[in-house]
Amino acid sequence: MTQPQYPSSDTQWPRWEVFKQDAPNRPHQAVGSVHAGDPQHALLTARNVFVRRPAAVSLWCVREDDILTATPEELTTNFALLDTPGEAGTYHVGVKRTNKRSMTFVDLSGTVQASGSGDALRQAQVMHPDVLAWMVFPETAVVRTDEDPGTVESWFAPAKDKTYKQQQHYGVIGRHVGELKRAGLMPGRAASEEGA
Amino acid sequence: MTHPTPAQTGITPGETAEQHAHFEARIARGEKIEAGDWMPAEYRRQLIRMISQHAHSEVVGMLPEGEWITRAPSLRRKTILMAKVQDEAGHGQYLYHAAETLGATREDMLQALLSGKAKYSSIFNYPTHSWADVGMIGWLVDGAAIKNQTMLAGCSYGPYSRAMVRICSEETFHHKQGKEMIVAYAQGTPQQRAMAQDALNRWWWPAMMMLGPHDADSPNSGVLTRWGIKLKSNDEVRQEFINEHVPELLEAGLTIPDPDLHQDEHGNWRHGPIHWDEFWAVIRGEQGLNKERLGARQAAHDDGAWVRDALQAYTDRQRAVAAD
Repeated sequence: MTQPQYPSSDTQWPRWEVFKQDAPNRPHQAVGSVHAGDPQHALLTARNVFVRRPAAVSLWCVREDDILTATPEELTTNFALLDTPGEAGTYHVGVKRTNKRSMTFVDLSGTVQASGSGDALRQAQVMHPDVLAWMVFPETAVVRTDEDPGTVESWFAPAKDKTYKQQQHYGVIGRHVGELKRAGLMPGRAASEEGA
Repeated sequence: MTHPTPAQTGITPGETAEQHAHFEARIARGEKIEAGDWMPAEYRRQLIRMISQHAHSEVVGMLPEGEWITRAPSLRRKTILMAKVQDEAGHGQYLYHAAETLGATREDMLQALLSGKAKYSSIFNYPTHSWADVGMIGWLVDGAAIKNQTMLAGCSYGPYSRAMVRICSEETFHHKQGKEMIVAYAQGTPQQRAMAQDALNRWWWPAMMMLGPHDADSPNSGVLTRWGIKLKSNDEVRQEFINEHVPELLEAGLTIPDPDLHQDEHGNWRHGPIHWDEFWAVIRGEQGLNKERLGARQAAHDDGAWVRDALQAYTDRQRAVAAD
């Protein structure tokens, strides 16, 4: 892949999509992105931005240029996405399953062997025909935190002790809010978004 | 005779009625619009404007409170304030990401902030005079922000909605730590009570104003509502904010600086007239600390240049080594 040149410190670095795993045996989920010059910088920035609270055991970062994303609507007008070139090998597949209120985009759901990005997208579409978005990227593009207990401890444990960041740490005054809600003076979530 | 602009109709030349009907039907079904989907150019423009302003507000919002970190009265309060300011930086990052999915670049957005072209919430141009302001900002300003952001968490654009859900879950801590602090001072010594009351006197009206102009004077609301970006009007969100906060402030023993404030027969708290001249003067930077805030942001940007240069040099070196 070609590396753009950046003439000054005021020009942005490449964007990396960040995937966070909340607990062992849970899928990595796309949480957002960071800008970084190199893989280590990307992982450190991802931790600072997305792991200021507990619940993380692993972070992955993938350069935006290495990711192919599509929605069903996009594929109705842009078939060429299925011909996107790329190296042959193992590809990760992420899918978005619901429109419910959420703080994550796709869940990574497994891998496929593909001849390129477009082929991986085609396979993802066959495996998961009824989802709201697909994402694929090659395994070789992933940079990740180490899985050994020492790394997990030093990277992710400090957030656990900072209980003052949790709202449960503070007492509640004003029980009236519940009463207001019942009286219809404090509308909560729209009914269509309940249950997320 | 003048033709209506895209900002009024939502339709940009080149877009068809069919495209708009399909798009609006998706929103009516409660679907989220994702980055690759077709969307009206005006939807994209309005979202970039709103999300980048929102991101700038998070970033500038670090300044009034950051000034107080070194003067926090205890280690506990200091760690809380540091975590809160750090959160605001993170929230700016989430939001810049959401705007980037629409094609805006980080560089352009930062430039628009530093040049004064882009706006941020007027609330951050007010000075923080005492330590109690830190608590009152948490209680009122973050309280008002949460009301607005909870609404936006349900908006039709997927990346913005997801950033809002993440922000709201963290922002609740900001609100509660402020409330806890002010309640403690309101029950404390006469000096502490006076400090809490003084902070309320200065922050009440700015917090009311930060939820935006009255519905009748809100120029962008039409298409924003139609396209599921704003699910409630400014006045509705303001009413929710008042209904939640007035009883709690009164319960804490504080006096709200609005002689006309009263509860109507439906149980809604009704406020007196708002002085919008001040709001617009602060937005335009004629009043308040706009110059100082942008100066501090520019200084932070300039002072951080060596870090960016060092990281770039490391990146270049790694690449050169890899190429050998």
